[in-house]
Amino acid sequence: MIGAKTHIRVVLLFFLFFVNQFLFSQSLKDTLQLEGFEVKSNFLVHNPGFKKVRIDSSLLIPQMNADLSTILAQHSTIFIKSYGNGSLATPSLRGTSASHTQIEWNGISINSPMLGMMNLSQVPVSQFNDIDILYGPASISQTSGAFGGVINLVTNPDWNNRINLLIAQTLASFSSYNTNVGIAIGNLNVQSVTKINYGSALNDFPFYNEQTNSRQKQQNAQYSLGGISEEAFFKFSNKYFLTARLWYSENNTHIPPISTNVKNLDNFVQKDRVLKSMIEGKVLGKKNVLTLRTALVDQFMSFTDSISKHQVYSWTNRVKWTFSGIKNLSFKPGIDINYDWVISDAYDGEKTRSNIGAFAEFIYDLKKINFTLVFRQDIIDGKFLPFIPGFGFGLSPFNKINISLNANVSKNYRYPSLNDLYWRVYGNPDLHPETDYATEGSIIYSYLNKKRHFFLEAEITGYYSKMIDLITWTPVTGNSSVWSPENISEVLARGAEVGFNLWLEVWKGKISIDNNYSYCKSTSEKAKSAQDASVGKQLIYIPVHSLNSTLTLKRNEFYLSYIFQFVSKRYTGTDNETYMPAYSLSNLIFGKNIHLRKIIVSLQLQINNLLDLDYQSIVNRPMPGRNYAFTLKFNFLNQQPN
Amino acid sequence: MYIKTKKFTISRIHTYLLVFLKGLFFLAILVMAFSCSKKPIRESKETPALPPLDSFSNGVFVVNEGNFNWGNASVSFINLSDNTVDADLFEPINHRSLGDVAQSMNISGNQGYIVVNNSNKIEIVSLKDFSSVKSLSGFNSPRDIAFVTSDKAYVTNLLGDIMVINLHTMEIKEIIKTSCWTEQMVKFGNLIFVAAIGKYDDPNSKRNAKVLIINSLTDQIIDSIKTGKEPLGMVIDRKEKVWVLCTGGYDNYEAPSLIRIDPLLLIVEKSFPFPNVKDAPSRLCINGTGDTLYFLKNGIFQMPVTALTLSSQPLIPSQGRLFYGLGINPANGNIFASDAVDYVQNGLVYQFSSSTGQLIHSYEVGRIPGSFCFSNASVKN
Repeated sequence: MIGAKTHIRVVLLFFLFFVNQFLFSQSLKDTLQLEGFEVKSNFLVHNPGFKKVRIDSSLLIPQMNADLSTILAQHSTIFIKSYGNGSLATPSLRGTSASHTQIEWNGISINSPMLGMMNLSQVPVSQFNDIDILYGPASISQTSGAFGGVINLVTNPDWNNRINLLIAQTLASFSSYNTNVGIAIGNLNVQSVTKINYGSALNDFPFYNEQTNSRQKQQNAQYSLGGISEEAFFKFSNKYFLTARLWYSENNTHIPPISTNVKNLDNFVQKDRVLKSMIEGKVLGKKNVLTLRTALVDQFMSFTDSISKHQVYSWTNRVKWTFSGIKNLSFKPGIDINYDWVISDAYDGEKTRSNIGAFAEFIYDLKKINFTLVFRQDIIDGKFLPFIPGFGFGLSPFNKINISLNANVSKNYRYPSLNDLYWRVYGNPDLHPETDYATEGSIIYSYLNKKRHFFLEAEITGYYSKMIDLITWTPVTGNSSVWSPENISEVLARGAEVGFNLWLEVWKGKISIDNNYSYCKSTSEKAKSAQDASVGKQLIYIPVHSLNSTLTLKRNEFYLSYIFQFVSKRYTGTDNETYMPAYSLSNLIFGKNIHLRKIIVSLQLQINNLLDLDYQSIVNRPMPGRNYAFTLKFNFLNQQPN
Repeated sequence: MYIKTKKFTISRIHTYLLVFLKGLFFLAILVMAFSCSKKPIRESKETPALPPLDSFSNGVFVVNEGNFNWGNASVSFINLSDNTVDADLFEPINHRSLGDVAQSMNISGNQGYIVVNNSNKIEIVSLKDFSSVKSLSGFNSPRDIAFVTSDKAYVTNLLGDIMVINLHTMEIKEIIKTSCWTEQMVKFGNLIFVAAIGKYDDPNSKRNAKVLIINSLTDQIIDSIKTGKEPLGMVIDRKEKVWVLCTGGYDNYEAPSLIRIDPLLLIVEKSFPFPNVKDAPSRLCINGTGDTLYFLKNGIFQMPVTALTLSSQPLIPSQGRLFYGLGINPANGNIFASDAVDYVQNGLVYQFSSSTGQLIHSYEVGRIPGSFCFSNASVKN
């Protein structure tokens, strides 16, 4: 009794002050692997020494109608630069730019090869199950140039004999509608998953505009997002696996004017049509895993204003072999063969890019200490990119305490985007790759009590990354009307990330708390001219501090989530003279699941911006005040033993 | 025994509940601490600007474009009596941003007319305290304003048409139709010469670059003169010759040229082609006495109106500075050039001596200083 009481007090202390995690030293490492329900750790390593974080899928389920940018802003240390509800949202990992983060769908890049980045507001959460984030140098085994990291959207098969049908409908403020349908059917050997999502919003939220000194409705911000995906999973004799995936999405996004432009007559619309397809085969041997993958991504994008159209085809192929036949050593070599083909109004003629990448991971496992060596050699358009190496180690010094120390060093290069090279008049074909020297160190700790009703995990990471020859668009000397990209910037990004999650089963219910904190100093290190006042100053739109916390309570099929986000001030000038003030947001999700035989009916109410904060994240881009979303969900499940 | 167990359970529940409520309480405090401010979250300055104290009698207004689609345009004032700067005149007194991409400013009587391009408006301010008199809309991406008579002004636009403004009612009185992107204007008697680039959406190969001639009595386009591509700058000299600076096209379509037009005969008298197709001259200016031309081409170039060739060396080399805007003090001929640095920080203005080109003073102004408006410049009516 006293023990339990103390326990909870300690928990609260933890939650409030992030006190060190060594108090729970009587824990048993092995408890995590006990039979029964699965206890998932979210703080992981990709390879020993290289950081990987998983966003718990339980956090995604209540937010099926949300987009990826919302989820990352609420549940990760990634800063999302959002131009407003449904508008452009780009990630910044560890003080890098959006083009330094690769977004993947089951391992294949879905960044636009033209821009080198991706709009996260166009990715519906309902289309994937898990989010894996490979931080910084962990990306080397996947791709070159992702200095910030890789965000991988994962869909995994469920090999149960089942029929699962899901229909969800959301009605939300500002004439916002969202429909999700999911059909999963299959058995031990074959599974089919079909997902359909359609969402539309008028998005005409009211806001106070200083320019007119009045409340007005947001103009030209309507959008629609639609998508359908089909996945087929085949398993033959537990040795051969075949996966085929197809995902088509069609988005129409109107681009609202900034709040000062009240008399602006522009009616900009961006249209995106994306078809992603992939086939993946896997052969599981005793000491071997062979993976073969081919994927085609067809992206079409148009802007009505300048009647510009861009068609991109990306063909990506991968062969990867995992071999663990030698004592203590596993060896994972592979080859990527990628080809991009672009037909764009913005370029003179068609442009292509071929990329052949050879990579290998060596893992040397000495139980308490593990080493990883990663190499990558990219050959882009026949030219050798500099060699990319990474070295890391993981240390788990104790048998009874589940704590590990991880560290790595790496060097990485990023090849310019196609726009940087080929944009008509402005592009610069003489650009050379950007360079990153990075190191990171982390401590990961987790604890599950013997009775399995208390779980805690914590993670702290420090990183240091020096990026040189960064590509920046600047006016051409002597001609300020023409801007062109050049390898002129240097950035030093260093900081810390803290993750702290716990759950506790108590009073026939469950309390869980998920927290992420990021400290990020990302500064400009090189003057562009003698007058440049940016040296040593924080990059624009990157907060030094950001924090998010989610408190979830569950009991009797009722659930309540309180999601809190804090973002510190972000500078809007490279001289750090102007800034957007810090703000914090609160969201609330409240719902109930009702079991009716084989159907679960869920009712859910979500309140965003609970305190009705009048805020902007980007200069003069209004954000909605308090708003509501109501969701009704039917989930039919007929499952038979295999 | 049974009762005892029950008691135990209840007290346990109580404890949990209490602790939980305490937790919620702390959480609430946390939330309050972060978000009790009801002040709207808007862009702020580390050193907020204050409304100006002195008059604008002797100095220069610096029009800071601000970043495209950021809505952070501003106007700074350099007091030339004591070299002090009011970094931001508009926002502190009007409590709102000037708008998005301020292009130019001109003075008529005791009012300033600020052309705010991407906000599609002209902000009319009192030169007493810079308070807004009227925000005039209805343009097609306005570029420049010229006062034709004491009663009316013309406004050129990126996306076609020239608006005629009644200066008494401060309203658009009439629209002179043209599909051309129009820029700077000069006055010659009753004629207004308007630099016209061609249709904005067309590539330079399709654009017919010219100078439009408008009869200001009838507000009719009466003639035009063909020029090189992108005639962005235009001035009139003391001999009443009209000078037009053609950039040759942002895409280096052809070599730039400086041309001289005889406004009586309506012919191009003389053309000074630039040697290199990649040369990018800009910001054609003339001094108060109308005998010397200035323009930017990396450095600052000076050219007497009587010169027979273009000067090959700048009067003031750039020396690592990125000159962006140019203005000549009509009172003493001193040269004002702006430097936008990296375009995402406060810009600078340099004042150089007219005779020697020596740096006299430099000033920190707002974001992307693009054009100048001298408060002592009398409106030529």
